[in-house]
Amino acid sequence: MEATFLLTLLITFLASFIGYELISKIPQTLHTPLMSGSNAISGITLIAAILIYPEVGESQLLKIIVLIAIAFATLNIVGGFSVTGRILEMFKKND
Amino acid sequence: MIEIILLVSSVLFIFALKLFGRPSTAHRANTFAMLAMALAVFSAFNFDFSKYDSAFYITIVVSGLLGVLISKRVQMTQMPELVGLFNGFGGGASGAIAYVELSGNSLPLSDVFVAIFSMVIGVFTFSGSLVAVMKLRGKLNNFNKKLADIFSVFLPTIILIPAVLEMDDLLIEFIILVALIAGIIRVAVIGGADMPVVIAFLNSLSGIAAMSAGFIVNSIILIVAGALVGASGIILTLLMCAAMNRTLLDVLKGGFGGTAINNEYEKDPISTSPEDVAIQLSYAESVVIVPGYGMAVAQAQAAVKELTNTLKDKNIEVKFAIHPVAGRMPGHMNVLLAEVDIDYEDMFTLEDINSEFSTTDVVIVLGANDVVNPLARTDEDSPIYGMPILDVDLAKQVIVIKRSMSPGYAGIANPLFVNDNAKMLFTDAKEGIENIIKSFELV
Repeated sequence: MEATFLLTLLITFLASFIGYELISKIPQTLHTPLMSGSNAISGITLIAAILIYPEVGESQLLKIIVLIAIAFATLNIVGGFSVTGRILEMFKKND
Repeated sequence: MIEIILLVSSVLFIFALKLFGRPSTAHRANTFAMLAMALAVFSAFNFDFSKYDSAFYITIVVSGLLGVLISKRVQMTQMPELVGLFNGFGGGASGAIAYVELSGNSLPLSDVFVAIFSMVIGVFTFSGSLVAVMKLRGKLNNFNKKLADIFSVFLPTIILIPAVLEMDDLLIEFIILVALIAGIIRVAVIGGADMPVVIAFLNSLSGIAAMSAGFIVNSIILIVAGALVGASGIILTLLMCAAMNRTLLDVLKGGFGGTAINNEYEKDPISTSPEDVAIQLSYAESVVIVPGYGMAVAQAQAAVKELTNTLKDKNIEVKFAIHPVAGRMPGHMNVLLAEVDIDYEDMFTLEDINSEFSTTDVVIVLGANDVVNPLARTDEDSPIYGMPILDVDLAKQVIVIKRSMSPGYAGIANPLFVNDNAKMLFTDAKEGIENIIKSFELV
């Protein structure tokens, strides 16, 4: 249990580090699509909602709250990627 | 099998960030990230789709379609609001999940703390983002800072209410209430031109909320992706702060700008006409355009593109100088210019173009103010002292297109406007540029 927790922390640290290194190199021109793109990725919390949905049990209230979370996260992901695609398309045709 | 899918997904996410580094490969980055996301979401089902009822699938399909609809209809000038709104959704989702986990009563103690953390950050992001959206739409003025400070001090005491009233089971709900109010107050006191910092900061928080949700449900991919978003948001936040020579704490404290401190000039500005500007431009060899929030408000991008074409046809070099905090979110000006097909090769950052102003014939300042105020270099008492600015005052001639002499966000006079080499064209950004183009046809 202890070892897995430490491993998870290590992964968190490495992911943050890689993220920091790669994102520091992204030019100012792309900062808006970077934001909307990473914004879409933050909707990945949908996974947590999918994992807990079958386990909420009897409570209708909790079930509805998870459904709200699912709606928010899905909107975030789909809308976020779609709009990022639109922005990047504008940069592409300038090549 | 699931592990392999997740491994591929993680690697794809990291590759996506790598591809994001260049405008020419960035559109592929989006495809990679989408693929990574699809794999990650698919893996969460663990090949058992029967565990889920129709309410679940209907919610996913409907909100997915709604997402597509919104993203197709939104205009590029509304992008800051949209990003803010989606930020709020992401944070709200993480907050809701943490709440459900806390209510389930089966968490080990260490997870309880993580869940409370995730819930507070998520809820704060949710309410803060919604306030940010309202501010961006101009529906909310700056909240009284003193009142907000008093509120902030008494806010944590709300958590004590359940203890006093012996309603221990409501503790979590009261924490949510505090986080909601805190998000509203914190963002409400921050002025419009500080929005690039706020939006980037909330973006980072939505990633951190997702990451901590990953700790609760033991999902490595959630932790990795959340951490990537958190890192990206923090980088942008710090870049924006550096571009204003202020600390994040100072920005979040709020109360900066919005009111005129000093707007007096020693002499009158020289006003000019579109015809004169057209003549001036036709004799120039190099022109630099400095766009600001005023260009976005006036929707002047298309006119700017037309002027750029007119000048380039006359073999005049045209460049764009973009300050990092121009507009209402990081990269805002670049997107507006890209929308009208202006080549990103012609867009320059502050570091890249500042040395060129002294050899530039004409600079057109279009709806920008504080980011070209020379006081930032010279006046130690000025609130913007030390902020990196575009040194347009060093150019041979400067045309400022602006409706009046009113101060910018920092509330101070801009001596550039009365500089010997500067002329004012008092009009709306779009109208100004369009009239210059018309005058060109007559020259």
